[in-house]
Amino acid sequence: MAYPYALLRTGFRYLTALGGFVNTSMPHDLAFGQEGRIYVVCTGNSGPISILNLDDEDLGSFGAPGFGFRLPNHKCSPGNQDWPVQDGAVLWPCQILVDSEELVYTSDQATDRITVYNRFGEYQGKWGEHGSGDGRLDRPSGIAFDADENMYIVDTMNHRVQKFTKDGRFLMKFGVYGRGEGEFDMPWGIHIDEVGDVYVVDWRNDRVEKFDSDGNFIFQFGSFGDGPGEFNRPAGIAVDGHGDIYVADCGNDRVQLFSKEGRYVQQFLGDATLPTKSHRERLFTSTKMGLRFRESSSMDDLRYFQRPLSVRVDSEFRLFVTDHWSYRIQVYEKEAYPRTEEEVAPPLRAPVLGPN
Amino acid sequence: MAHLIRRAGFGADRDQLEQYVARGYDAVLEDLLHPERFQVRDGDALQRYYANPEGGIARDHWFYYMINSEAPLREKMALFWHQVFATGAEKVQHPLASQGQIEMFRQNGLSDLRAILTGLSKDPAMIMWLDNNQNLSDEPNENYGRELLELFSMGVGNYTEEDVKGATGAFTGWSFEVPLVDRKRYGFPTNFLFREEHDGGEKSFLGNSGRFNGEDIIDMIVMQAATARFICRRLYDFFVADEPPVASWNETAPLDPEAVDMLVREYFESGGDVRAVLKVLFSSGFFKEAKFKKVKSPVELVTGVVKLVGTNRFPERRLGEIVRQSDAMGQSLMQPLTVEGWHTGLEWIDGGTLNARVNFAADEVNDPEKPGVRAIVERLASNGGALPPEEFADRCLNLTGPVEVDDETRESLIEYAESGGDLRFTTDEERDESESRIVRMLRLIVSTREFQFN
Repeated sequence: MAYPYALLRTGFRYLTALGGFVNTSMPHDLAFGQEGRIYVVCTGNSGPISILNLDDEDLGSFGAPGFGFRLPNHKCSPGNQDWPVQDGAVLWPCQILVDSEELVYTSDQATDRITVYNRFGEYQGKWGEHGSGDGRLDRPSGIAFDADENMYIVDTMNHRVQKFTKDGRFLMKFGVYGRGEGEFDMPWGIHIDEVGDVYVVDWRNDRVEKFDSDGNFIFQFGSFGDGPGEFNRPAGIAVDGHGDIYVADCGNDRVQLFSKEGRYVQQFLGDATLPTKSHRERLFTSTKMGLRFRESSSMDDLRYFQRPLSVRVDSEFRLFVTDHWSYRIQVYEKEAYPRTEEEVAPPLRAPVLGPN
Repeated sequence: MAHLIRRAGFGADRDQLEQYVARGYDAVLEDLLHPERFQVRDGDALQRYYANPEGGIARDHWFYYMINSEAPLREKMALFWHQVFATGAEKVQHPLASQGQIEMFRQNGLSDLRAILTGLSKDPAMIMWLDNNQNLSDEPNENYGRELLELFSMGVGNYTEEDVKGATGAFTGWSFEVPLVDRKRYGFPTNFLFREEHDGGEKSFLGNSGRFNGEDIIDMIVMQAATARFICRRLYDFFVADEPPVASWNETAPLDPEAVDMLVREYFESGGDVRAVLKVLFSSGFFKEAKFKKVKSPVELVTGVVKLVGTNRFPERRLGEIVRQSDAMGQSLMQPLTVEGWHTGLEWIDGGTLNARVNFAADEVNDPEKPGVRAIVERLASNGGALPPEEFADRCLNLTGPVEVDDETRESLIEYAESGGDLRFTTDEERDESESRIVRMLRLIVSTREFQFN
């Protein structure tokens, strides 16, 4: 599959905010299941993995130590998170994936393993061991499937990416510690686009690196800062069906959009002008003092992202952002129209005077 | 040097201590007094792995910085001011405000008292803690005005009720904006806000009259001899030797009046500059002679032991456990029981807390794989030859602090050392046996009475 030659972007419509204290407490990442199910992995008190949908319905959660499936609209009281972590529980989950059979995979940075559930939250298995040798993991963070459902794992503290079958057989690796091309310093997010290229967020180097499916370096973009195209400890990444690249620029509290060549296009700062269902309920049950504070305060800041950790784009070009510190997911919808080469003037071919 | 690093910081492992010694006392002291010389600590890894800080108030983050900061006096001063201006996060109910107060102490902690008290008076957590948001021109609330004088600057007996009223009126309308506090742990920051409900009328304070605002009150407070004496005695109490409880200071003389006088003189000569006062303090004979005259606070004990064993140099999964250990020993950071702060000195120790202190330290050193314990084993093994019992005991005492123990304690440690003969490292069996004997020796040392002192 090829990306369009050019794209007429008309903009992004803000759709809604999802989640809240009960079901998406400190959300890290999300993945799309079937029949509209959205799996959200969290590190707060809601239970590590929650299920909801675009109507903001709470469909329960699972994955907490000593706790089974949390029923919808019930509070989660996870047991004491003790060591060793029991099978079926995750402690420091980071990212989440759903395969074609709707099995749910999550990376756990505490146990250095991948834990697998079915769509009912039933534990299916785990794999991964701590270490630095081939196939060993040290704080696995970003995970992504290629078209064959092989799993690429960002092996953060080993500063590399490893490729496994989805049942955990080691296939290959690339990357070493450093700041040069193809090197990493505590990488985080990862995405594999529709042509099989691999995008890795090089967290501590404040950049994105692109590789082919064999791990050969293609290009990079970004550097430290808060200007357009600059990053402050970026976390998650997604590439949509047009090849547009979205990066959760966590430290700058924004998401940035880049063209498929890595050219900065625009930024998203958050637009949640209405509370989520869960949050609305809390407002109505708030204390008198809380309501006094709210009555006397500005609401301007409420719309903005706070530490967005991940971006995901579904097949309908809807952009989901895990708004980590605000316990919610903000959702946009893209409006853009592919253009052919004939429909767009050619780029300038003449040399240009000016600084190199 | 070790004494300075324990008091102005939280201790150091042996490699760090040797680096400090190589640079010399004065140079190290200058660095300690100028934390701005060091890059702002790299907290992004902490943020990455502990983005959901413990209880929302990031006490685990603070412990991490105390363990790892290259500018430890910055953290120690934050701890000092937190003890003096004790503020409880439970009442504040705004985690970012509570975090912000500690950050303010980090930034202002070594500056002049005027800046420190101004920052405190505009701090949303303090405003919430002592109800100054409810201190309005037509309905004054004296809570902050009173504590500012009683506990934060001048001390009991050095002001009148009229002064409390004057200060209260001057701080009316000093409040904060709150984007949303309809639930705990909501992550939006709040800032100081000067509200219209300020009393702009005539007030009297410390014998002066005028249309004073909060800044005017602070200007007068910092010029008072009582303030200088109170703050300098608090510094002495925190950094030099345990004084009796603050509440009794109006009736009890300082342990070392001349030392406090020396600090007070520097206070006035420097215009209330805390950094200058501390320079005099750390350079003085009375400080250098005050080794092991303070009971370690739970925070100091926990942090010091963690530094000794070399863990948590990178955000580890069980960082929160450290916080809970300090809680169990009676010091819940950012959750003092009252505005008076914690009762320190020997009051840290009772049957329960002593158990918790000893058990924690003994458990922490009971693992030869921990980097700090491993380093001690390697140092003892590096001689190559056999290590006689007396030297074994003395070197362990040295490497764990140094810890100074009385003769009886030392004899007991040597007795234990003698029960196994010389330490040897020639064969694998000898090495394993020596390793477990060293670990046991370390457990004995951190369980001594002397180890409870700083």
